[in-house]
Amino acid sequence: MPPPSKTSGKNLEAESILQAVVLADSFNERFRPITLDTPRCLLPLCNTPLIEYTLELLAVAGVQAVYLFCREHSETIKNYIKKSKWSRSYSPIKIITIVTPEARSVGDALRELDAKQLIDSDFILISGDVVSNIQLEKVLDAHRSLGESPIFVLDTKTNECVHCESVELYPRKRRMTMDMEVFKKHADVQIRNDLIDCQIDICSVEVPALFTENFDYQDIRNDFVHGILTSDLLGKTIYCHLVKDVYAARVRNLHTYNAISKDVLSRWTYPIVPDSNLQEGDSYEFMRGHIYKEKDVSLSRLIYVSIFEGLIIYVNNTYFFIISIRSCSLGEKVLIGAGTEIAENVKITNSVIGRRVTIGPNVEIDGAYIWDDVKIKSNCFIFRSILANNVVLEENVIVKRGCLLSYDVVIGPNVTLEPYTKLTKHKKTSESDNEGEESNENKAYDSTLIGEHGQGYIWSDKVSDTDDDEFDTKNIQIAGLAHDISNISLTDSDSPPSVIYESSSDELSDSGESTTEEESLKEFFKEVSQTLERAFLDGHAVEIASLELNTLRMASNTTFHDLRVGVIPTILGQIDIENLLTSAEEILEQWGPLIGKLIHSRQDQIDTLYILQDHCAITQHHAKLFAPTLKKLYLLDVLDEDAILEWNSSELADNDSSKSSIRKKVAPFVKWLEEAEVEDSDSDD
Amino acid sequence: MTGPRDLNAQIESLVNRLRRRQVVGSWCVSIETAMLLRQVVSATRWNQVETLIKVVKEDVGRRLVMAQPRELAVGNIVCRVLRLIREVYNSEDATFDDNSAEDNDKDSNTDDDEKDEEIKSKSSQKIRTFSFYGGSGTGTNTQSSMINLLGDGSPMGAKRASVDDYRKPPNLKPLIISELQEMINELENTYVNIIDQAMEHIHSNEIIMTVGKSRTVEMFLKTAAKKRKFSVLVAETFPTYLGHEMALSLSEAGIDTTVISDSAIFAVMSRVNKVIMGTHAVLANGGLISVSGAQMVATAAKHHSKPVVVCTGLYKLSPLYPYDEDSFNDLVAPDPVFSFNEGDLIDKVTLLNPYYDYVSPELVSLFITNTGGHPPSYLYRLINENYDPDDTDI
Repeated sequence: MPPPSKTSGKNLEAESILQAVVLADSFNERFRPITLDTPRCLLPLCNTPLIEYTLELLAVAGVQAVYLFCREHSETIKNYIKKSKWSRSYSPIKIITIVTPEARSVGDALRELDAKQLIDSDFILISGDVVSNIQLEKVLDAHRSLGESPIFVLDTKTNECVHCESVELYPRKRRMTMDMEVFKKHADVQIRNDLIDCQIDICSVEVPALFTENFDYQDIRNDFVHGILTSDLLGKTIYCHLVKDVYAARVRNLHTYNAISKDVLSRWTYPIVPDSNLQEGDSYEFMRGHIYKEKDVSLSRLIYVSIFEGLIIYVNNTYFFIISIRSCSLGEKVLIGAGTEIAENVKITNSVIGRRVTIGPNVEIDGAYIWDDVKIKSNCFIFRSILANNVVLEENVIVKRGCLLSYDVVIGPNVTLEPYTKLTKHKKTSESDNEGEESNENKAYDSTLIGEHGQGYIWSDKVSDTDDDEFDTKNIQIAGLAHDISNISLTDSDSPPSVIYESSSDELSDSGESTTEEESLKEFFKEVSQTLERAFLDGHAVEIASLELNTLRMASNTTFHDLRVGVIPTILGQIDIENLLTSAEEILEQWGPLIGKLIHSRQDQIDTLYILQDHCAITQHHAKLFAPTLKKLYLLDVLDEDAILEWNSSELADNDSSKSSIRKKVAPFVKWLEEAEVEDSDSDD
Repeated sequence: MTGPRDLNAQIESLVNRLRRRQVVGSWCVSIETAMLLRQVVSATRWNQVETLIKVVKEDVGRRLVMAQPRELAVGNIVCRVLRLIREVYNSEDATFDDNSAEDNDKDSNTDDDEKDEEIKSKSSQKIRTFSFYGGSGTGTNTQSSMINLLGDGSPMGAKRASVDDYRKPPNLKPLIISELQEMINELENTYVNIIDQAMEHIHSNEIIMTVGKSRTVEMFLKTAAKKRKFSVLVAETFPTYLGHEMALSLSEAGIDTTVISDSAIFAVMSRVNKVIMGTHAVLANGGLISVSGAQMVATAAKHHSKPVVVCTGLYKLSPLYPYDEDSFNDLVAPDPVFSFNEGDLIDKVTLLNPYYDYVSPELVSLFITNTGGHPPSYLYRLINENYDPDDTDI
C-alpha cells in the first residue's frame, strides 16, 4: 500500500542506533481554528494524542532516539513529552525536542537538522500524525540490503522510484508526461495510482545535507523527490517499498481524521486499537458491536441498543401500558472515555466521546468527535462534527454536519448551527489572543447565530495566503469532516498524494494555461530579466545567479522552459551589436554556463535552440547574433552536436523566411559538425 | 516499587512487548513472565511476605495482565508464583508457630510426620541455614499442600489463619527463588511430558483430525508417528490458514497428511477416529479459548460422537470463569476477511475477524496435560492445586 521512499546511501553501520526524525508540525493550517490552541500532533484521535501513534510505531520498529521538531506550541509539546511515559528513565526511546520557530517547511526543518549535525546514520523521517501498524523493521532491512548493492538501481524490480507526481482531486490531471528514456533504462515500469503515500521516509545521512545545498526545497514530495528524480547530477536514487496488508495513513485534514478514526474503531489498525491502551492509565475494553468503553463510565440503565416500544407489564392484576421505555443506546463504533455520564434516552452511533463528558437526556449524536470535558445539555442533536475540549452546548442545540467547535466555545440555547460552521474563542483579526480585549468584546458575540449564552466567533478559512496550500476551495470542501464519502471509496479519498511511477527529465507541463497564468508569466519574465541585470551589474558568479533564478522559478511555480525563455534573450541583449564577435565572446564566456545550468537533458538543449531561433528571428538585427552564439555555446559544451543536428533536421514552417534565413546562417557550422561526426564514426570503425 | 531501575526497565519492556504483540504464544509468554517474576523476587527488597505478595501481585502482575488481558497465560503464571510464595511462607510460618508454640504451651500442633518429611527434603535444610530463628523448617510440595487443603482442621488450616499477621521476616528469598526455578524448569519440560503420552492415545491406522497450528499437537503427532502409522486431516483454518503450515510441517515429518477446507469438516468427520487439537487457554469450567474454527470442529465431532482430545500444558489453565465469553476473544484487523480496497462497502458493513473461538466444556472429552490426562470435570481440582483463590482477581 504505502511506499516509503528512501535514498540509497552508505551502508548502515551494524551497531549504530536507529534514529528517527518526527516532524511535530504540519506546516499548514488545515486544522484551524483548533490548532490555534493545540498543536496538531496532540489532537486526540480516539482519545489518544496523535503523536502517541507515531511514537508507538517507531518504538515497535526499535528506534532508540527520536528528534522531535516543533514550531508552534513547542512548550505544550515539550511539556507533554516530559510528562509522558516516553521520558521515563527506563524508557527504551530517548526523545529530544528541537524547537525551530523559524522553520516554515519540511525543508527548513531538515536544513536545521543538518546544521546541528545530530544525525550520524540513516534515519526514519516521519510526520507526527501517522497512524500505522506497518512493520518498519522489514522496510529497514530492505533498505540496508539495498545500500550494499547499488547495481540493482537500474532494475525496476528493485522498486526504484523513477517518477512521482502528486495528484489533487481538483483540478483533475488528465495527462502526465514521461520521458522515453525511462523505457530504455528500465525493462519493466509500473505505473500505479492505487498507492497511498503514508509519508514515512527512510533517509540516508546525506539527505539533510542535500536539503542544505538546495535551499529552495520546501516539501519532501514535491520538491525533494522530484528534484532527485529529475536531475541526474545528484546521482541519487529513491526506492519505494510497497507494503501490503498493513494499515498506514496520515491525519492530513478533517476528512482523513474522520476516516482514520473509523478505521481505528473498526480495528483495521490492529494491534493499534483503543483496547490495547496505548497510553498509560487507559482502560478501554472492547465490547460487542465495536463499542469501546473505559472504566467509570456511567450509562443510564441499558447499554446496548435497546428500545422497547409498547411494552406491557402485568402487575397485581393491573395492566400498565408503557408507551416506550427508552434508555441510552449505543450503536456501532462508539468509544467512550472514563468519567463520562450519559443520561436517559441518548442515542450515540459512530462517535468518539472523550473523558469527563456529560450528556443530558434526549441527545442524539451521530458521527461526532466529542473531546474531553464537553457538556451537552438536553435535547441536542449533533451530526458529523468535532467538539473540542470544554465546549458547552445548552438546551436544544442542533449542530449540523461538518461543524468544528474549538476550545471553550459555548452555544445555545435553542440554536441551529449551519453545516460547516467553524467557531472559535479567538477573534480572527488578533492572531495573538489578548485576554483583556476578549473580555471587552464579549458582547460582540453574535447571539442570533450562537444563542443567548453563546461565546465564540465564526472562523472562516483564509484560502490563498498559505503558501503551501495548493488546495483550491473544492479540495477544502472535500477535506471537510462531513463530506459525503459514500461515492468515493476510502482508499481513493485517502490518496490525494497517490504516487505515480513515471519518469520525465522535463518539467511537468500543466495542460491548461489560463489568462491569469499568462499574466503571471509576463511578471515572471520581467523579474528574471531584472534579476539578471542585477547580476550583470554586480558581476555575480554564475552559481549565485542560477540559484536566484531557481528560487524565482520555484516561487512563481514555472518550468525550466519558461526560465530559459526569460534568460536567453536577456543575455543576448547584453551583446554589443557593433562589436559583435568579441562582445559575444566575452558575454557568453561569462554567462553561457548559466544557460547550461538551466539545461538538464537533450530535450532541453533542443528546446534552448528553438528559443534561440525564435528570439533571433524577431528582427534582422537579432539574426546576426545567432551564429556566434550557437558556436560559443557549442564550445562551452552547453549544447552538444547531436542536439544541434537534431534541431537542424527538424521541419520548419514553409513560409517562415526569417527562421530559414537563420538556418542558412549556421549552415556552414552545421555542415562542419556533420563532417566531424562522420569522421568520428569513421575513426570509431 | 523498591526495585532498581533496570528491573523497572525490564518490566516496562515486557509490558510493551506484550501490548504490541511482539511476544506471542502462551508458552513464550509464560516463560518470559516467570523469568521476570523470578527477577522481581530476587531484586525487590522486602522484609515481610506481605510486601512481596503486594509487589508481585499489584505492582508487577497487574501491569502485565493489563498489558494484554487476552494472553491468559500471564495471569496464570502470576497466580502460580503467588501461590508458591504463599506456600513457602505458610510452611515456614508453621515452623515458626510450631517453635513458639513449643516454647509457650507445647501445643499439639507439632506434626511429627511433617518433621520426618522435612528431614528428607533438601529445601528444608536450606531454610534451616537461612532462617533467623534456627529451629526446623517444613518441606513444601504441592502434594502436602493439597492434602492440607482437603483435610479439615489440619495444620494448613491453622496456618491460614495466621497468614494475616505477616510479621516475621524469615529469609525466604532463596527458597522462593529455588521454587520459582523449579517452576520454570517444569514449564520448559511441558512439551516433553505431554508428548510422552502420545503412544497411549494414538493407535495404528487411525484417522485424526486437527485444526490450526499448535506446537504441542505438532510434536505430539510427530512423536506418535515414529512408531505408528496413521493419517491426519488438517482443516485449513480460514482466515489465518495456519492449517496449511501445520500440514506442511507434518508431511515433512513423513505423516500421511491431507488438508481439507473448513467447509468439509462436517462431511469427513464421520470417517475420523479422533480429533486432537491445541488451545490458547483453558478456562476454569473446562471451556477452551482456541483458534477460530475450533468450535466448528468440536461441534461436528460431538454430532458424530467422536472424542475431542485437547493437548495443553497446565500453564494454560486459567482460574477465570467465562461469564462473558466474548471478553476473552480478540478481534484482529479484518483484512484477511475483506480487503480494505473493496472501498465503499467497508463503510456499510460491520466486519469482524475474531481470532479465537470459545469451545464449551461439553464438547471436550479429554485434556492431555503435562501431569497426565484429565477430563474437563476434573479441572476444578487442578485449579485448586495450582492457584490461590485470593489471587484469581489480579
